[in-house]
Amino acid sequence: MKSVMNASLKSFLKSAAGAMLGFLIGLIICKLAGESPLKVLKVLYQSSFGTGYDFGMTLFYTAPLILTGLAVAIPFKAGLFNIGAEGQLTIGALAAAWAGVLGAHLQSPAIAIGFAFILSFLAGGVWGAIPGYLKAKRGSHEVITTIMLNFIAAGATAYFTLYSIKDPDSSQAETIPIPSVFHLKPFQIFNGAPMGELIFVLIGIVLLLHFILWNSVWGYELKAIGENERAAETYGISKQKVWLSSMFVAGGIAGLVGVVEVLGNAHRFKIGFSADYGFVGIAVALVARGNILGILPSAFLFGILQKGAGSLDLETDKVTRDLSYIIQGLIILGVASEGIWDSLKLIRRKKNA
Amino acid sequence: MSAIEFRGVSKRFGNFYANRNLSFQVKTGTIHGLIGENGAGKSTAMKALFGIYPLDEGEILVQGKPAKIRNPVQAMKFGIGMVHQHFMLAGTETVLDNIILGHEPGWIWIKRDQALSELKKISSLYGLHFEKWDHPVSSLSVGEQQRVEILKLLYQRSDVLILDEPTAVLTPQEAKELFQNLKKLKDEGKTIILISHKLKEVLEFTDAITVMRRGESVGTKVTADTNEDELAQMMVGRPVSFTYQGERKMFANASDMKPVVRVRDLSIESLTEPVKKVSFELRPGEILGVAGVQGNGQSELLRYLTDPKKFNKSAHGEYFFQGQDASGLGPLEIRAKGMGLVPEDRLSEGLLLQQDMTENFLLGQHQDSRYQKNGLLLRKKATEAVNAKIKEFDIRPPFTTVWSGRMSGGNQQKLVIARALDSNPSVLYVAHPTRGVDVGAIEKIHDAIVQERNRGKAILLFSSELDELMDLCDRMLVFFNGEIRSEYKRSEFDTWSIGRVMGGGDR
Repeated sequence: MKSVMNASLKSFLKSAAGAMLGFLIGLIICKLAGESPLKVLKVLYQSSFGTGYDFGMTLFYTAPLILTGLAVAIPFKAGLFNIGAEGQLTIGALAAAWAGVLGAHLQSPAIAIGFAFILSFLAGGVWGAIPGYLKAKRGSHEVITTIMLNFIAAGATAYFTLYSIKDPDSSQAETIPIPSVFHLKPFQIFNGAPMGELIFVLIGIVLLLHFILWNSVWGYELKAIGENERAAETYGISKQKVWLSSMFVAGGIAGLVGVVEVLGNAHRFKIGFSADYGFVGIAVALVARGNILGILPSAFLFGILQKGAGSLDLETDKVTRDLSYIIQGLIILGVASEGIWDSLKLIRRKKNA
Repeated sequence: MSAIEFRGVSKRFGNFYANRNLSFQVKTGTIHGLIGENGAGKSTAMKALFGIYPLDEGEILVQGKPAKIRNPVQAMKFGIGMVHQHFMLAGTETVLDNIILGHEPGWIWIKRDQALSELKKISSLYGLHFEKWDHPVSSLSVGEQQRVEILKLLYQRSDVLILDEPTAVLTPQEAKELFQNLKKLKDEGKTIILISHKLKEVLEFTDAITVMRRGESVGTKVTADTNEDELAQMMVGRPVSFTYQGERKMFANASDMKPVVRVRDLSIESLTEPVKKVSFELRPGEILGVAGVQGNGQSELLRYLTDPKKFNKSAHGEYFFQGQDASGLGPLEIRAKGMGLVPEDRLSEGLLLQQDMTENFLLGQHQDSRYQKNGLLLRKKATEAVNAKIKEFDIRPPFTTVWSGRMSGGNQQKLVIARALDSNPSVLYVAHPTRGVDVGAIEKIHDAIVQERNRGKAILLFSSELDELMDLCDRMLVFFNGEIRSEYKRSEFDTWSIGRVMGGGDR
């Protein structure tokens, strides 16, 4: 246990250092573009932590990334690459809006919100389980099927939005608003930013999943299949079961983005609401190096950069929001360049010798 | 003149010395054996020579001159080439393309004709008969693939050829051919370093032998002046016996005992390895051997016995385990009825290489009520159990947090066997228990197997080492072409007779 903790701490420090390196290179690029790096840092800081509202917005951007980061990291433990979080969260969000339609008569906020939670989870979960099922039964590669299901999800949700539960009073492509009993209340100190107790629920989900994956038989089977499929099967672990269940859970968690967006923010489903959360989730999981707890800081970092992107446009002369995306890319590169550590070690060893 | 000389070479991993003050010389134009137990540092030394690991201390001399080799490409420039235990070939590409990879003649277009004519010259010069230049490597036999690797080194003009456990994957015939070829290379002036832990072949085919133990050289012997006992003693540091010396408890009425495993008329459809109408019974207190050249149905049989559910379409026949029909059960269900398994290939089927000993110990036992409660693992209990096993089986290094992939072959196998015995199974399916395992560990493993027999366990032992089977078994089944061709009692064991049946002949 001790060495496991040490190993994950080491991996966390490596990630953090890699992210710092990426960030530094980004700031050098600012300097080359003629903008003071200090100013850029200040803008990013102000934009994410400046006021209660800013911080609330940063958390609002972070929340979906926590969920999609998990949706990528969990199947990854079982050796699957889930590119389909975008589709899973879209389906989950539509389900959350639909919960409002189905549960229009509900009186208790707890029951209403719980109902929407479950429906989003199940809808996203079933959507995620489809590629799991196809892989288990037919051997279809999950990368292909999850990407294709993203398109299908976009088309299907557009259809239902426009033809089944469209808001007749709106000229936009959006569903009927959910009743106010479904609304999640934001914190007062966030001054109108749409984030409240939900953020604690999400942190709780991360902790729970970390516990389950490390301590449960299910988590063990996932890890065993991901690490050595043949050995795991020889010792009686069914890869079909693992693939199906891990993709179901991943899809369900991605589906909860629907709760964040529909119950917490827009109070309805809008086509194209997601700022590529599903794909940024891949980056979040990558920077966390598949460590479940690492998803939290990683998602927060990307939340800051997403939030700061707009302010860079407004408050600096020479750089735009694109810089934020460049930094995101550089951070991924910094974290992914594992080779740096080996060569550093080598240099140090040579010096010692 | 020495082609290669190690002078006081040390290589550390953390506080652990994989090589310590290692010195020896390899004379030009000889076959030099490098032997030692698993983990003795043979591979580390060769990787240091090949530039894969930097040296911490000492130096390596090539042709009498100090050489700083930083990577494999530089090693090749010094004329050093290596055939790894696991071949480095691209299966779908042709033999020719595999050989010229990295040294393609031509600038924009590859001049394959030029390469081919050169290769033909090389292969006739060294007497390596080879024709299949345009076949994909995957269509070649293992022996042929190995010859491709050797041709590749010759094409790169290597003068020193390192072969890491070259016979581990070969049939006896292929091995014989390999050594004939190596002898021809030697006669043409090449130097060959042979890493092995098979004493017999080293004694037969080398000119000199360096023995390593715990990272150091114990000494270099001229092959003609030494023998098996001396080398084994040098390797292990104490006298070793090659036949099992322990006590065999006599079960007077073993043949009257009720069989715990009964297989009748079992046939398995398979393109590569069908099994045809196999019947046998396994009783408590006996070791039943399964002999045969690899690929004659034994592997399929073992896979079926551990996971018959997987074969529900391709297998026909009866399989009774502890008196109950087991033909529809999965691995966990059969295990719950009292099966312990030591799989054929511990690396691909037995271990999670990037997990520690506790995690590996849980594999297959993760649903056992001793190690889980309400779907949550009881890791503490598992770790306690592993610690007990480490003591009982002398597993090294003795820490439960070590990744199984970082352990030596012998210790990995001890862990796999300890795991199989942990649930106190009444039936053990054991395959190749000492494959790739060092001499010291072989004794321990054989002892564990016979002790289990003496306790009244029923053991089905698959092995490609006939000596091992003859040493341990009470009865033996000989497979050929998917059938049991003959059955031998211990009193009837005879190498030549069994060998004939293994080859498809008569007793």
